[in-house]
Amino acid sequence: MNHRKFQRTLWASWLGFIIVLVIWQVVASVGIRDPLVFPGPASVVEAAIKNVPLTRLLEHIGISLLRVIMGFSLGAAVGITVGIVSGWYQKLGNVLRTPIEILRPIPPLGWIPLAIIWLGLGESSKVFIIFLGAFFPIFTNTFKGMVAIDPNIVRAAQTLGIQKNRLLFKVIFPATLPDIATGFRVGWSYSFGLVVAAELIAASSGLGYMIMHARELSMISVIMYGIILIGAINLITDYLIQEVFLKRRLKWHYIETAF
Amino acid sequence: MDTIAAIEEEKKGFQLSDRWIQIITTVAIIGIWELLSRSGLIKPVHLPSPTRVASTFFYIMREGYPQDITIFIHIKATVWRIIQGYLLAVVTAIPIGLVVGSHFMLERVANPVVTFARSIATISLLPLAIAWFGIGELSSILLITYGAFWAILTNTIQGVKQVDVTYINVAHMFGANQRHIFFRVVLPATLPRVFAGMKIGLGVSFMVIIAAELVGTVEGLGALIQQSRLYYRTDITIVGMIFIGLFGLIISFGLDRLERVMLPWAVGLEEVKR
Repeated sequence: MNHRKFQRTLWASWLGFIIVLVIWQVVASVGIRDPLVFPGPASVVEAAIKNVPLTRLLEHIGISLLRVIMGFSLGAAVGITVGIVSGWYQKLGNVLRTPIEILRPIPPLGWIPLAIIWLGLGESSKVFIIFLGAFFPIFTNTFKGMVAIDPNIVRAAQTLGIQKNRLLFKVIFPATLPDIATGFRVGWSYSFGLVVAAELIAASSGLGYMIMHARELSMISVIMYGIILIGAINLITDYLIQEVFLKRRLKWHYIETAF
Repeated sequence: MDTIAAIEEEKKGFQLSDRWIQIITTVAIIGIWELLSRSGLIKPVHLPSPTRVASTFFYIMREGYPQDITIFIHIKATVWRIIQGYLLAVVTAIPIGLVVGSHFMLERVANPVVTFARSIATISLLPLAIAWFGIGELSSILLITYGAFWAILTNTIQGVKQVDVTYINVAHMFGANQRHIFFRVVLPATLPRVFAGMKIGLGVSFMVIIAAELVGTVEGLGALIQQSRLYYRTDITIVGMIFIGLFGLIISFGLDRLERVMLPWAVGLEEVKR
């Protein structure tokens, strides 16, 4: 896209949000529905400030994020390790990939009942679900990245007399990093949706619990507030992962593909 | 393509084929699972033996769980919800995406809103859907629609935007009018991306429906695994998960096939993107 044209029309990005907010407020004010059932943006903010104290809110956010981070790091660690091992040792990889490919079509949420049977209603079942959500995309991308490396890179390194270990850690692993990064992003937003789902079904804290609890009390404004908050946190964390972390660490890769 | 495989192959002569390794591994896993269950190391409440799961498999086809609701009724309920919600998303998202994608300013205005709407976890809308539409069909269908809608919309918009300008210029030079250009050039060039969005959307629909069914429905695969958990019928939960897995497999495989038949010119899209 033309960069100057992009800059000149930057105001348009905000216009979209303003239009949505205005329409939402107008529809709510006209009062086709009871404002308790369909609150406008103003009453959502008002109710949220009144009913959800900031400390409580931060607690919910903190707990949800902690769960995601625990499950995600576990999933990332195992996913990358198994992915690299599967790509490096072909036979062993085939053995490892068999159960993974069998289990992969089951969405992580389908594991919730079994996770509760195995691990109870506590933290570990939620972390397990998020682990699954992070593991599968990170594993798949790592493995795909390993086997899709340009053979010429490997051959060049071999021609220059590289040792096997160095070939893996200095050539193949760095070449796989962009794919791992893709897996990270997919896995992260996946994990984030999963923590909310897991908290809706069985939890007594966290953002998912907050909105499910608000439903029981019929506080629709709080539900809406929670939904928007969940979206915003997902967006912000995804941005942080992509811009601050990945683009800086993988500058050499993104320079080629940057628009 | 397979670098490491190629390196390995140069070194070795005869070896077991991949297919056999997979079969042997699967059989070995089931065998170990059966042995562990029989020896009592794993309690049947936690993980019933494969033979138990197999017999439950047939039980659930004949008798059903809960009483008289056979697996086919569960599958039918889930499939029917997906079809309704998904189709609603397809017929709304594609036209909107085509219009938004072909107007620069419209796309600029819509883009942040779409990005935000997409990052809202669909499942988090469940409490709101229940509060508005009650627990039941309508809630789950609309949730599916929401999840699939944004996936299809973003991909359609991207598809239109990425149409090579050269194509349009060439069509112009040969005297094609606006309508011709849209239907004969832009639309076919956009379709592979639309299809990619539809694939993602169907995957999302499937995940959303399982989650929605876990909360308060009686029929459906999600309901089956949740209900059986409440009564510690782990064998039924596992059979339900097997069906969910098969279902997921059919969805991804079926769509890949369909894509190759319907959009032969999209072959190699994966390579182009790299």
